[in-house]
Amino acid sequence: MKVKVNRRTLEIFEGATARHALLKYFRIRKFDLSLVEKVDVFDVWGHPIDLDAPLTEGQTIKYKAL
Amino acid sequence: MKRILLTLAAAGALALSAFAQPKELHILSANDMHAKIQNFPQLAAIADSLRAQYPSLLILSAGDNRTGDPLNDIYEIPAYPMVALMNQVGFKATTLGNHEFDSGPAGLTRLINLSTFDYICCNVIPDPSWGMHLRPYEIFDVNGMTVGIVGIVQIGISGHPDSHPDNCKGFTFLPPEETLQQYSWLRDKCDVVILLSHIGYEGDVDLSARVPWIDLIVSGHSHTQLAGGEIHNGVMITQNVNRLQRVTHTTLTVDGGKVTAKKAENIEVQDYPKKNRVVELMTDFFCTNPEFERVVGTIDAPFTSYEELGILMADSFREMGGADVGFCNYGGVRYDYLPAGPFTVSDILKLDPFGNDAVELTITGEELRQMLLSCCAADEDRFPVVSGITCELIKDKKNPSKIKNLVLYGPDGKKLNLKNSYKVVTNTYVASISTSPRKDQGRAMNYQTAQMIQDYVAKQGHLNYAGRKVIKETLK
Repeated sequence: MKVKVNRRTLEIFEGATARHALLKYFRIRKFDLSLVEKVDVFDVWGHPIDLDAPLTEGQTIKYKAL
Repeated sequence: MKRILLTLAAAGALALSAFAQPKELHILSANDMHAKIQNFPQLAAIADSLRAQYPSLLILSAGDNRTGDPLNDIYEIPAYPMVALMNQVGFKATTLGNHEFDSGPAGLTRLINLSTFDYICCNVIPDPSWGMHLRPYEIFDVNGMTVGIVGIVQIGISGHPDSHPDNCKGFTFLPPEETLQQYSWLRDKCDVVILLSHIGYEGDVDLSARVPWIDLIVSGHSHTQLAGGEIHNGVMITQNVNRLQRVTHTTLTVDGGKVTAKKAENIEVQDYPKKNRVVELMTDFFCTNPEFERVVGTIDAPFTSYEELGILMADSFREMGGADVGFCNYGGVRYDYLPAGPFTVSDILKLDPFGNDAVELTITGEELRQMLLSCCAADEDRFPVVSGITCELIKDKKNPSKIKNLVLYGPDGKKLNLKNSYKVVTNTYVASISTSPRKDQGRAMNYQTAQMIQDYVAKQGHLNYAGRKVIKETLK
């Protein structure tokens, strides 16, 4: 399925959570993967969501480093 | 006589005015608790505190009460600790989340029978043979107010809630919104109508435009942190992030048989200063789970390397996932020695402690080859451990840390046909960090990898992995 992290579209397995999308995004951007556990994640409206939040096709999430 | 009549008239007027007085309905709601039993002493204290002020407090859950902590999920009766604690706190109703299906219809029927609260979900019809006490809706009399509660759960693209397909057999699943609209008559019967929804915040916002007959949606599934309650199309929606970090206290003012005011505030659970002592004792009891020491199989010869234990994990993925190839990241193997003797549940949870799910993919041999290399690069250049194939890493003689080429061999010892398609099972972490191009990104199997290992070891009975190797290194 396709999801967006900070406006970048990613393809990821069905059933992925916010954590999985961020892992993939961080890997593509060559960031330290351990930092995934240290970010604040938000949905498209700006509500905080947790890393275990299930994602759906087409969903957009954003993150901010703590 | 005149004085008596006047007194009666005054009393009647007083009674009428008392009858017409607005009332408040107080609701304490949770969602996606995911087996966070450690926060129940605080949750119980919050409920006690509110109940002291509002004796008719209604405590509700929007589902996914279980799945998230082995203390709960592999209890002798799986997920019973959460049910016992929810009974004690005084929950009145829950809807089904997708994870309520995680121990199949038999497990769910058993949990429902052990619960003192109602399970309400209108778009799930259990096979009558289960005798499951699942209700589409329920009407409660709360302090003289009629409160209708209806529930819905998400249906994934595979036509069932996101749990393992085997767990969803024995149910008929109906489209959530269409089914929900069949209960709009609750508006005429009830002063307040509440939806326990496990379809996620986005779905609930969309739904709110078409359900003006609902006063409040206690929302779950998307783990969305709302600042108290949000009003969308006149419907209040509440939701919090997962694992009982917060709960919501909602107050609905009911006047003349309808809701005239709504307000909601979140309450922090983890840092709540009080604990209910009885619930704390129950939680302590459930935190010493004897199931952890259950012997699953016997180790005939000690495991003496990460590779041997990794092969066991990869074998489990391949065999229990019905795949051609299984593999896990080297860093996912958490210890390198296990003596001969009993292999316990605790040993397995320490070997694979991350709560990863399995992911299945159908990919070509070349895509698999690239995926293994990508996983290696993302895992500090440690090559993953495989099952169903063997690997030859051809490394640079001048720079042995660099892989020049990777050759895969099938179970017959011949080179793997890189154009053929193979069913591959790995874990969610590997599927996320392996960024090599492939047509199929895979699907979560809703089958935890630790559970796969447990099932595989139980199936094998005896294990001997001494000297097993699947990776050969050649310098060229």
